[in-house]
Amino acid sequence: MGPLIPNGIIGGGWDFVIALLLGIAFGFILEASGFSSSRNIAGVFYGYNFVVLRVFFTAVIVAMTGLLFFGYFGWIDLNKIFILPTYLAPMIFGSVVMGFGFLLGGFCPGTSYTAIAIGKLDALVFTVGLFLGIFIFGEAFPLFKDFYYSGYLGNVTLTDVTGIPPGWFAFAFTIIALASFWVTMLIEKKVRKNIKEYKF
Amino acid sequence: MNRNYIFLTILMLLLAAGTLFLNKEPEYNQIKPEKLLWEIIQPTRYVTTDQVAKIIIDKDPTLELVDVRDAESFNKFSLTNAVNIPLDSLLAPSSQDYFGLPGVKVVFYANDDIKADQAWVLTRRMGYSDTYVLKGGLNHWIETIIQPKEPSADASEDEWALFEFRKGAQIYFTGAKAEQGSTKKAKVTVKRKKKTAVAAGGC
Repeated sequence: MGPLIPNGIIGGGWDFVIALLLGIAFGFILEASGFSSSRNIAGVFYGYNFVVLRVFFTAVIVAMTGLLFFGYFGWIDLNKIFILPTYLAPMIFGSVVMGFGFLLGGFCPGTSYTAIAIGKLDALVFTVGLFLGIFIFGEAFPLFKDFYYSGYLGNVTLTDVTGIPPGWFAFAFTIIALASFWVTMLIEKKVRKNIKEYKF
Repeated sequence: MNRNYIFLTILMLLLAAGTLFLNKEPEYNQIKPEKLLWEIIQPTRYVTTDQVAKIIIDKDPTLELVDVRDAESFNKFSLTNAVNIPLDSLLAPSSQDYFGLPGVKVVFYANDDIKADQAWVLTRRMGYSDTYVLKGGLNHWIETIIQPKEPSADASEDEWALFEFRKGAQIYFTGAKAEQGSTKKAKVTVKRKKKTAVAAGGC
């Protein structure tokens, strides 16, 4: 059945509508998870708040096992989904830069908007910097164009590169994620005296 | 510890463990290449137009005629009770319902053998048995059933019997007039009933 647009089940014009709906849902989840607070976000670097790690690991393992099951049931054709092309060195470099930005600013681009939505002034400053950064990057792009396109590996997945079957990878990753949930919960308990246990 | 966390952790673990058993490569029930090649060079997949004509006339329900030409040609002319599955939609899931039914013989036909043979190879590769090809296709059907040629006077009895059958089939399929022994018209006398005078009673 899926993916819906490549298989012609819904028209290509719908992608913006779907993007809007997904964006709203994403923003809501970010805000609901406490990502609009830079203390929560930066806490993962200082070792007192691991909500970022838990939320993103949850997203990864749910989506990963979900896609594998969907693929197995024939609800989605995993050969047709978009896989971001890999440029190895630039991506490693970019993620380090992003990590520093995260640590310094207390937001990533997405969370800065959720923080603006609830009226955080630091997030407003952050987004001004974000646009400045985009502008500088765009203007200076010819300088590091060669590096930007280096280390191209194609639209590969970890299964393609390592040869580990997707099921095994998903299982191993889930165990790591679940273990990290419990370990970080214990760490938080030790580090923060006045911790409130998350309830849902 | 929160009981919900424990429950969700166990659930996620079970789901992830389930992915280990997902067999990604779909297993096709394919025929072995050697067997397929052997069957391709055998003439056993062919049925003659006479056989098909006989089955149609007998109204044998185990025959499934499949027209593999395009829809336009199918609408112009097709055999009795044939279904139209153009060659390019043979692999579509909706087409699969016609094949592999127990006891049903599928006979492919087109204008000649070629497309029908391709359809036969495809269905054999998918593992369906009981599929056949109409030898010579519709061209041969026209030659033998619709416009049968009279054999020469010194032909064997079998040939004449075949011709008789084909003539009969021609009448069945085209509605052509059977040859009559005499052309004299029998005189028809009409006997009229006497009209009853009044409709008696009624409502």
